[in-house]
Amino acid sequence: MTSLMPDTTPAVEIRNLVKDFKTSFRREMLRAVDNVSLKIMPGEVYGLIGPNGSGKSTTMKALLGLVAPTSGTCAIFGKDSLKVDSRNDVGFLPENPYFYKHLSGAETLRFYGKLCGLKGHSLEDRVSELLALVDLEQARDRRIGGYSKGMLQRIGLAQALVQEPRLVILDEPTAGVDPIGSRQIRDLIMTLRERGITVFLCSHLLEQVQEVCDHVGIIFRGKMVKEGRLDDLIAIEDQTEIILKNASPELISQITTLVNNSAGASLVRTGKPRTTLERLFLRETTKGDPS
Amino acid sequence: MSTNTHSHGSHAGRILVIALHAFTQLVRMKVFYFLAVFGMIAIASNFFDLPQHEGPEAAGVNVLRSIKSWSLGTMTLFSVVLSIVATALLLPKDVEDRTLYTILAKPVPRFDYLAGKLLGVLLLVFVSLALMDALMTSVLHIRTGMVLEQQVAMAKAQDWPEDAIASLRAETLLHGPNWSLQGAVFAVFLRASIMASLALLISTFSTSTLFTTIISFLIYFIGHFQADARDVYLQAGAAGEGVFAKLASLLISLVLPDFQLFNVIDSVIEGQAFPLLLLAKLTLIGLFYAVFFTLASWFIFAEKEF
Repeated sequence: MTSLMPDTTPAVEIRNLVKDFKTSFRREMLRAVDNVSLKIMPGEVYGLIGPNGSGKSTTMKALLGLVAPTSGTCAIFGKDSLKVDSRNDVGFLPENPYFYKHLSGAETLRFYGKLCGLKGHSLEDRVSELLALVDLEQARDRRIGGYSKGMLQRIGLAQALVQEPRLVILDEPTAGVDPIGSRQIRDLIMTLRERGITVFLCSHLLEQVQEVCDHVGIIFRGKMVKEGRLDDLIAIEDQTEIILKNASPELISQITTLVNNSAGASLVRTGKPRTTLERLFLRETTKGDPS
Repeated sequence: MSTNTHSHGSHAGRILVIALHAFTQLVRMKVFYFLAVFGMIAIASNFFDLPQHEGPEAAGVNVLRSIKSWSLGTMTLFSVVLSIVATALLLPKDVEDRTLYTILAKPVPRFDYLAGKLLGVLLLVFVSLALMDALMTSVLHIRTGMVLEQQVAMAKAQDWPEDAIASLRAETLLHGPNWSLQGAVFAVFLRASIMASLALLISTFSTSTLFTTIISFLIYFIGHFQADARDVYLQAGAAGEGVFAKLASLLISLVLPDFQLFNVIDSVIEGQAFPLLLLAKLTLIGLFYAVFFTLASWFIFAEKEF
């Protein structure tokens, strides 16, 4: 970032997006996206969540110009999504990408880099830098056909970042990936956030979205039903959480008495907080791993 | 993210990147294995020589004709099959594997993508034909030398005068490797280019590789008799003598290439020269159809949703 002034142009601006598809046989129109509007400011990590078939991927495709809106507009950093130059600042990882099986990891990144106009030393440096970022240096010369699902997602993320885009769009980035691979991808998303890159991802894995996103939108049957800052959306305003360590039963009893004696307040629940199954899995499977 | 990478590239650069990638993709699909088959055909065609007893002028000429005929026939078959099947395969494969999304999500205009894919196929066809041409020319060169030796020996045994022997040499060399033969190979390439661009057009609206392949071959065969059909239609007066008939005829020839124009390849096999003017005409026709079909493909592909 060379400028000290905050960038006020939204990274993503979708206004009243409507997308209708013709059904194959009966020529009836199917509304996949119904009047969706959203705005993502630079540096935000935005999660679009919703069940399968709710219009998440169609919204992303409209943003990338892969489908044309029936009505409404989409813009990336102020540039109309239907124009090719809007894609200079965006990287995209589709759901379950395959890439060209005949290319190695490094060749794949070289191919996408060249498409973005990179060449020579800057391209080679970028390829090495990205392979290191996604932890695929060991597999750089191995054909993509032999990559695991998690490796495919990571090389996919690397290709999305090849031209140093300011916005990255990820469609179900952890779908079908095991918990360790999934954690690696989430760590990468965190790294992108630290570097000031805007991330727009969609998923139906709510816990993961909660972990990485600071803004979320809930889409259901093509309509945006809820949108805003994650903390605002999930906070229960009339409740307060206190987590104690090594608290004796006497102390708990005193606190309970204190709460019961105070007017208006009531104790909702006490107990031991639980770790998630995923954290337990990661802890157990990486015990012997020095990294 | 320290590397300075903000360069967006040119149209030509992107088309070349996609073309070289499509070429590599096809090469790694092991399409060059067919060259071994061609090699066997080129060598086998040496043995299709009928015994000649008329005189020195006929000795061994048939085998030269046979080499050219088998080689150019095989080149036509391979180049047409390769151009149709490879083009029909590339686009649906990219859509199916979602690699198309990742390419079009980069600053790549859809025209660049299409032109790159077509150029990649044409590069493959060109390299294949060049390799086959080199093999055919080598076999023909060696065999022409042997035939000439045989003819001169026979002529000398029959006490032919020197000028008659020189004339016989010149006559035989017409059946050997020459510029007309190279022109014929180029004509084979032009015909394959038309078919590749036609297959590209069909694949932009077709739903499967099989459909594209079948329709392309159908048009290829129609292309061989469309000129006759047009003549019969116009001369029979069924459509009247009016402007409509001529317009309809023009429209047919615009959409369906007339492959009879490429029959000149058969004349070259017979030892006739390939007029330069005809080669220029064929080049222009090939270029016209390739550009026309590519632009039509772009027109459809630009509006396509994925």
